[in-house]
Order: sequence, then C-alpha cells, then structure tokens
Amino acid sequence: MEVNSQEISIRPYEITDVDDFMVYAGDEKVTRFTRWDTFTSKDSATAYIKDTCIPHPFCRSICLNNRSIGFLFIKPSSGEDRCRADVGYSLAAEYWGRGIVVKAMKIAISEAVKEFPDVVRFQAFVEVDNKPSQRVLEKIGFLREGLLRKYTFNKGEVRDMVIFSLLANDPMF
Amino acid sequence: MEELPIKPQDNQTQDQDFSNINLRLLDLSDIDDYMVWAADDKVTQFCSWESHTSKEVAMKYMVDFIIPHPWFRAICIDDRPIGAISVTQKCGSDSRRAEIGYVLGSKYWGKGIATRAVKMVAAEIFFDWPHLERLEGLVDVDNIGSQKVLEKAGFQREGVFRKYFIQKGRARDAVVFSLLSTDPQAKLLV
Repeated sequence: MEVNSQEISIRPYEITDVDDFMVYAGDEKVTRFTRWDTFTSKDSATAYIKDTCIPHPFCRSICLNNRSIGFLFIKPSSGEDRCRADVGYSLAAEYWGRGIVVKAMKIAISEAVKEFPDVVRFQAFVEVDNKPSQRVLEKIGFLREGLLRKYTFNKGEVRDMVIFSLLANDPMF
Repeated sequence: MEELPIKPQDNQTQDQDFSNINLRLLDLSDIDDYMVWAADDKVTQFCSWESHTSKEVAMKYMVDFIIPHPWFRAICIDDRPIGAISVTQKCGSDSRRAEIGYVLGSKYWGKGIATRAVKMVAAEIFFDWPHLERLEGLVDVDNIGSQKVLEKAGFQREGVFRKYFIQKGRARDAVVFSLLSTDPQAKLLV
C-alpha cells in the first residue's frame, strides 16, 4: 500500500494505543537495536505508555491515519548540558523502507526547536551494525561525528556507537 | 587546563624536578595551595566552574563537591598540591564508562605534568574499577594544550561533538577522546 506523506502524523500517546504499540514493541526485529526489552505483555506495555510515554517531555506516536505504527522521543538534557537533546525512534517492521521515520522526525524536530529554545544540538547514538537507522539520520540531515568505542551497555553487551548530530540551525533535507 | 609549552617566568620552577609527582586526597588544610589555581582565571578558562573569589567560596566547594567525590585527587610535587585530577563514573547502563578531568596551576604548564598525572590515573582507575571499560575526556575545541595531554597519554581522538555543552554562557564544541581498558596504554605504569 502506498503511503501518502499527508497521512503520516505524530501525536502524544494514549492508553488506547496499547494494542498497536505491542505490534512493534513486541517484535524482536524492531527492538533488536532499541533500549527496550521486547514487550511480552499488554500490562507491561500499558504501564510503559502510562508511566513513560505520556509524562515524557517529548514522546510521540508515529501515526498512519492516526493509528500508532511507531515511536519517537526527543529528550533535552539539563544544567550545563541543556543545549543538547537525545533523539530516538522505532517503527513497525511492516512500514520500514518508505521514509516514514524521516518524515516523522522532521516534524518532531521542527516542533522541538520551538518547544525547547535552549536546545541547539539534537544527537542520536546508533549501533555500528544498524545501517538503516544511520541512513535515516543522514537523510534527515544529521552529520556523523564519530565512532565511540565501548560507549554503552545494552542487552548484555558493551557496544560501540556511532554518534550523529543536527544543530538547530542546520538545514533539514 | 594545560596549554602549549611557554617559557617559565618564575625562576623557582626552572630547577625543580617534575618527574616525581604524586596523587593524594585533597583536604581543607590544602586550601591555600588549592586557591593558587582555583582563583586563577587563566586556569579556570576552560573549566565548568568559575574562579573562586574567596577562601570561603573555595572551602564550600571543597566540602560540597571535592571531598565527597568518588574519585578526586590532588596532583602534588613534594606532597604540595599544584593541581587536581578526577574521574567521574556515568550512571545506569553507562556505568562502564567514566570521564576524566584535570586542572593545573599555570606556572606548572608545559612540563608534561598533566600528561604524567593522566597516565598514572588511567592505570590506577582500571585497576580500582574492574568493571570500567572506557575512560573518556571531552576537551573544548580551543583548548589545544589539553588535547595534547590526552594524545600523549595514549587516548584515541574519536571526533568533535558540535555545540555539546554550555560553558561560561556559550554552547561549545568538544573534542572527544577515549582510552579503553584493553588499550595497551591503559596498562603502562609511570
């Protein structure tokens, strides 16, 4: 099915998104490179939406015709680090490869620039093996800054991470 | 932070032996030696904190921040503090990573002291914290002297983070360096 860019939107999560959320957050293919452990129960997914997504400074459902097909967040740091924000995203595997995350993230960043005026830097950490996600960031206009050796620990292993950044006044493609 | 080598203007430091430095805990009785670098704008230029304007301010900083710090040492010559070096562990899933920071009185710049201190700390910290995998340093892009310290100490330069942190009111670019527990330089003892 062709995806019209006008049908892609972002909005805050609602508890009623839980079944759609489980489609991607319960899929190991999707959660392989995320910080999430694959969600295995509706209860844990409901708790996550209620306790994390909804109160979050900027967490959004990526929607197709207002149905949740993915997740994104933008999280500013504080204090002397308040000029930067971390970004992250995931998408149901059925919709990979169609530019949906690129579109959704461009909308999100445009909103975040207005909502968080202290933030001048958006950054993303991507695993070395996660090439499709690196391409997403490049297509948005993020710059690859380097490879950070043994930077973080996830799913039982210390991992090298590639870091990308987009400055608030960088053009988005 | 250390700068490029400069001709020392103070004759007292020309004949001193700088190969014998030691690291130890700092305490309130060191306050006068501490004020020599902590009140010097040349020294604090690239530090996240402002120069201490009085002994009272300095003592409060020592009590509130330095003394409770998990890993903070004075860099000493003849057991007199001339600077400081610290290692700060990250939290949660990043706890296998820690950040190094150091500062040195300006009359001791350009003599390899900070490099020696960093090498000593690198060897010691991987021994003290066996879970540590990565020691990193983030240096202001304009602080060439401090970048040279980490390069000479065997850290690997990984890239530049643009507008990464705010210092003295401006967003600054930071050069990022790392030393892994598995890097050969992590095992060298000075």
